[in-house]
Amino acid sequence: MTARTPQTYAVFGFATTHAALDAEQLLKDLGISVAPVPVPKALGGELCGIALRVHLSHAERALTLLERADMSPAKRSEMQDV
Amino acid sequence: MVPTTNVRPTVYLDHGATSWPKPQPVIDAVAYALSHLGGNPGRGAYAMALSASRAIHEARRNCAALLGVPNTRDLLFQPGCTMACNLMLKGLLMPGDRVVAGSMEHNAVARPLAHLARLGVDLEIVKADSTGFIDPDDIERAVRFAPTRAVVCLHASNLTGTIQPVGDLTDIAHEHGALMLVDGAQGAGHLEVDLAALGVDAYATSGHKGLLGPQGVGLLYLAPELAVEPQVEGGTGGGGSESAEMPAERPDRYEPGTANTPGIVGLGGAAEFVAVHGADQREKEAALVRRLHEGFLEIGGFRVLGPPPGVPRVPVLSVVHESVEADRIAFSLDRTYGIATRAGLHCAPWAHDTVGTLGCGAVRFGVGWGNTEAHVDLALQALAEIVSS
Repeated sequence: MTARTPQTYAVFGFATTHAALDAEQLLKDLGISVAPVPVPKALGGELCGIALRVHLSHAERALTLLERADMSPAKRSEMQDV
Repeated sequence: MVPTTNVRPTVYLDHGATSWPKPQPVIDAVAYALSHLGGNPGRGAYAMALSASRAIHEARRNCAALLGVPNTRDLLFQPGCTMACNLMLKGLLMPGDRVVAGSMEHNAVARPLAHLARLGVDLEIVKADSTGFIDPDDIERAVRFAPTRAVVCLHASNLTGTIQPVGDLTDIAHEHGALMLVDGAQGAGHLEVDLAALGVDAYATSGHKGLLGPQGVGLLYLAPELAVEPQVEGGTGGGGSESAEMPAERPDRYEPGTANTPGIVGLGGAAEFVAVHGADQREKEAALVRRLHEGFLEIGGFRVLGPPPGVPRVPVLSVVHESVEADRIAFSLDRTYGIATRAGLHCAPWAHDTVGTLGCGAVRFGVGWGNTEAHVDLALQALAEIVSS
């Protein structure tokens, strides 16, 4: 069995689940692969609710699109996963 | 336990209290939520919780689209219109504020206002005319009299069906620096509501009346940037959980505790249904209530409350008979004919006082999307027999 290479993702934190789901919908509609994840500790101690995970290679484009739609995340971090 | 006795009325004419039966898509949505959306929305990130969160998100979008709310986060799910009215009033009015309210208000507004008056809010009540209509000139005089924080008026009366000139009242309130706060329990669904166009600052409505959703869920629209103090604190699941303060962001600021997923998803299904069928529904309701009104005039001996025939109203029609008391009429209609109506004061003593029926009450007939001309004719035939016996 071949080990998969760890992938690096950007993780975006939002003030509310509603805001996170708005952002998820927008990014999906615009063709960016996005996955909700439990809020990781790396986002700064606010450990409730959901965050959005986007592959690092799409992160900047995602941020630009979110900003244009007035949906900028409240926080941003990175995480590795397989 | 599910009762096995058949208690369904032959004819249901109490849509002013709640709609029944519900459209099948509403029943299906509630059943789907109970069967498949069991996770706690807004909390976990596992698949079933996310499905519940997404379903609520979609329901909010449906409701916002129906009511003309540009930004979905300004539309809050509440446990009902009464709770929404309480948040709207108690979250905005402080001791020392002056508020001008119409005299047709339901207890969902009258009682919070009375409570606030005991705390030091200056409450000025403007009396409606004998048909239940609030004259905008009277509101303007009251608002001009002294600096006023808010004008409060229902969209339509649950007693007389009178539709209030909310657009004009909003203009007057804003011209004088006051907020416009509306109890739309009898409005949304029975009337086409576009909150962005209407320009009100807050609008509370029921989910289970004209919107045809399940009971236990209502809506509160708050204009962007309107600072309302939350009246209930608790867990909201999202960011900021470490703080002892409620989050600043909507909708979480006003939606603490586990959401009523089945109710909200049912309301989302109802909003979708009303968006498609609402215009037909309103046309049908208007025709049925007109038929009912004309029927009462033909039978004779009834005082029909509210506007005269031909004047638009929401589909409730209350009557007082010259000799048979309201409770006897409602009782006979139910027991002898299987026709469901509501007698009494309809939780609206201010309104009854305004139109002169506080001492005797009235029988209210509320028609809705499930009713037919045959239902109205059966009710009229039954009434003619009751009052002539």
